[in-house]
Amino acid sequence: MVSRRQFIVMGAAASSAALFRRPTALRAADATITIGVSGPQTGPNAQHGAQWVAAFDLAIEQIAAQGGPHLRYVFEDSQSEPRQSVSIAQKFVNDPDIAIEVGDFSSTASMAASPIYQRGKLVQFGMTNSHPDFTKGGDYMWSSSISQAEEQPNLADFAVNGLGLKKLAVLHLNTDWGNTSKTLFVQAAQALGAEIVAVEGFLPAERDFRSTLVRIRDTNPTGLILEAYYADAAVIARQVHDLGLKQPIAAVSSVYSPKFIELGGDAVNGIYTQSNFFPDDPRPEVQAFVRAFQTRYGRQPDGFNATAYDTFILIGELVRQFGGTREAIRDGLTKIKNVPSVVYGKISFDPDTRRVAGARYERLLVKDSQFTLWDGSRPAI
Amino acid sequence: MMINQLAFGPWLDYTVNGLIIGNIYALLAVGLALIFGVANLINFAHGSVYTVGAYLGWASITYLHTPLPVTLVIVITGSALLGVAIERVGLRALHGSSRIAPLLATIGISLVLDQLVQLFCSPDPRALASQLPDLRIQIGRGTIGTLDLLIAGVGLVSATGLYGFLRYTKLGWAVRATAQDQDAARQMGVDTDRVNVTVFAIASALGGVSGLLVGMYYNSIDPNMSFDATLKGVVAMMIGGLGNVPGALGGGLLLGLTESYGIALFGSSYRNLFAFALLILILVAAPNGLFGRRRDLPPEPMTGTFIARSRPLRLPRALVAGVVLAAALLPLLPAPYLLQTLTTALLSALLALSLTLVAGTVGQISLGHAALLAIGGYASGLLALDCGLPFVWSVPLAGVITALLGTLLVFPALRMQGHYVSIATLGIGEIVTLVILNWTGLTQGAMGLTGIPAPAIGGIELTSVRSVYWLVLVLVVAIALLQTRLLSGHLGRTWRAIREDEVAARSYGVAANRYKALAFGFGAFGAGVGGAITAHLYSYIDYRTFDTTLSILALTMVILGGLGNVAGAVLGSVLLVSLPELFRAAAEYRMLAYGLVLLVLIRYRPQGLLGTV
Repeated sequence: MVSRRQFIVMGAAASSAALFRRPTALRAADATITIGVSGPQTGPNAQHGAQWVAAFDLAIEQIAAQGGPHLRYVFEDSQSEPRQSVSIAQKFVNDPDIAIEVGDFSSTASMAASPIYQRGKLVQFGMTNSHPDFTKGGDYMWSSSISQAEEQPNLADFAVNGLGLKKLAVLHLNTDWGNTSKTLFVQAAQALGAEIVAVEGFLPAERDFRSTLVRIRDTNPTGLILEAYYADAAVIARQVHDLGLKQPIAAVSSVYSPKFIELGGDAVNGIYTQSNFFPDDPRPEVQAFVRAFQTRYGRQPDGFNATAYDTFILIGELVRQFGGTREAIRDGLTKIKNVPSVVYGKISFDPDTRRVAGARYERLLVKDSQFTLWDGSRPAI
Repeated sequence: MMINQLAFGPWLDYTVNGLIIGNIYALLAVGLALIFGVANLINFAHGSVYTVGAYLGWASITYLHTPLPVTLVIVITGSALLGVAIERVGLRALHGSSRIAPLLATIGISLVLDQLVQLFCSPDPRALASQLPDLRIQIGRGTIGTLDLLIAGVGLVSATGLYGFLRYTKLGWAVRATAQDQDAARQMGVDTDRVNVTVFAIASALGGVSGLLVGMYYNSIDPNMSFDATLKGVVAMMIGGLGNVPGALGGGLLLGLTESYGIALFGSSYRNLFAFALLILILVAAPNGLFGRRRDLPPEPMTGTFIARSRPLRLPRALVAGVVLAAALLPLLPAPYLLQTLTTALLSALLALSLTLVAGTVGQISLGHAALLAIGGYASGLLALDCGLPFVWSVPLAGVITALLGTLLVFPALRMQGHYVSIATLGIGEIVTLVILNWTGLTQGAMGLTGIPAPAIGGIELTSVRSVYWLVLVLVVAIALLQTRLLSGHLGRTWRAIREDEVAARSYGVAANRYKALAFGFGAFGAGVGGAITAHLYSYIDYRTFDTTLSILALTMVILGGLGNVAGAVLGSVLLVSLPELFRAAAEYRMLAYGLVLLVLIRYRPQGLLGTV
């Protein structure tokens, strides 16, 4: 919070000057490295911006406490709209203080701004941009978002081999993320011998799923797969319950959030999902994150928090090893190896795809309104 | 017999589901219909009152641990007071200025309320647990709960109660008299201010209760639930007949059933396509709604009644030339962020110029104008990607395609008048978005178009901010000059004649529909070019790039600048794109500040900054 408050004061003074400042040669690593964040703080995706801020503040504090470089960030609200993200991109590119950019949240906003970052030679780190073409925008586009090409086969293996579900119905958010996830899941599940009996896409603002679920019910699946974020998934789970559907449900890792249980109530008990981390995970990087998050905010972190936290830890490490200029960070990304990460265990980039491979998965079951480790038992079908 | 037959198939389930969601739409539509009936206003703030109601209920349950009856009393009182405040502070001052200013004011109020909820209650969704015992009744293979019955009960009781109130009570008569003719009612001794306040209080109380009940139904409330609530409520109201309170109930249920059967037949990604197709069908076939009577048709042409009588500000030619010159010289300053923002503003100005012609000069208020950008963007993007056409060809061609397709799409709306045009265009806009999403073979569906080449002229890529800015500036100036020229000639006079009195224009031999189509065609060309350039600049577009919120923003720009005013449209675009950028230092308070500034501008210049033409 402190850094943002400071920014408000400084920003007010500097904004008029910044408009007319000629971009100068970047200074050598300053005492403080500034990260430009483009993301939603108002509008329909504002909660994700708030999740980022919580994780950023925690990461900055921890890096400083461990004697690492001093980071600060400038959060510019884009409402995740392309019209605003391009202006922000231009602003960041021309602000010599910005060493790296993080965001935007949606691919619609991120990819519209990519040409500006690419030309401005400023790294655009799209930590949530799973659109397969995002990093193809140029060699300054990098992403640590979980590759659905990896997660979906994992989920398919969980559902088909782990839970023994052979006739599946897939309900997915109809955006680039949900659509990619759905396609990859269907491929993987079919390769494992499962039959896909229904595929239904829903729009981002949709709340009523009863008729969609009746349609799915009448294809007689033995299991339901949810490719959705936690808020939608909770609403779906409640309506599954109301309609008397008894099929086991397996959901993608983005439902792993305390909010999922709060919003879903009893209806989410018995849902299987996976997560890249788990509070009881003994890995030191997970413990450092989960415990500190819980102490500071009084709640458990979710996947969005973890991704944002990992990103700042990574940037801290990049600056420590390679220096804080734009070029140093860009080159560092191609070289950096094995940065401790909550989501991945260790982060290293493939310099050709500019993405990270090897996310870790814990298989979970919601039991008594708690995420618990799956004990390997199959549901009765 | 029928029921028995149904019970064997899933159709009973689909019917029950349709009625359940229809109930919710009905509840929203009743409040909207009441306000429309009296104030002749589509209240865009209704969804925000619904959100506030839900959060009031949440706060009272969480912090005061109130039981349901007390919660309801708190929500009813709080929302009614909010309604009174909206009428008293936001709308009364605009009375008699023009019909469009209050509409814009409700958009501004909605923005402010949503932002306040978000600031006070955090943007994260919250659980709002139902306080009713959850007894479930088996119907078909699904169940319905006590909450479903309560929602249906509240809808039914409020609609019949309101019907009785309007028909048999003295205050009800006063409300109806005010609805028919405010001045005559006042002359007969009706306190019309009191009537308006009463109506807003009742409608808002209803809106707040809907928010509470719907929030409990989904066990989830968030600060962004208002826009979709307004959208579906307006559609339901329109199906039932504008301002028809019992009709709204039927409209809501019918909308719910249509969506449910649509999902049953074609799957959930077509859901809204059916809702909006039903809307257009009803607007064309039975413009008074299914439950309205023919004689309720407005006795006077409603086109033109939106336009405030005012004298436009005459801008001296030298001043305009000076501003254009200054704008052309601006890139000599090293201010790329400023140029980028102005480029976005000028691209929006292409949309606003198009809308100011259609909405201001011809009097057809379009609420789906962003669809033209989408058509232009996709047309140019696909021409470049699939046919390899260079930028200089794909962009004008996209303009032509947009002009043709846009005019064709809007054709059913040309026969309509007043609010019907607005709602029909809103529906058409949504349909365009949904077709883009579902026509995967052509548009790549949800994945969007990637790798659209950067603008290039004669083999030279226009990559610098400066060159793109100049390109767009030249286009805006050219289209603005052309539009001014058209407006001052025969064509402009004919357009305005249609706006002022379509019947009179027709009787003088003007083929009104063809002239309207001409205006749409010309406007759509400009907007299509704007969308095309945007697509090449972004390199990536998907179905969310040009959404309904952009249509609403465009209308705001046009009204703010002054309807029909060419310079006003450009000024409005520059202001509404730059203001949120200027308020960046305010972080989360940014959109709140923007909403408040908007409200102040409407309050003191209801006819627009430069006045209507």
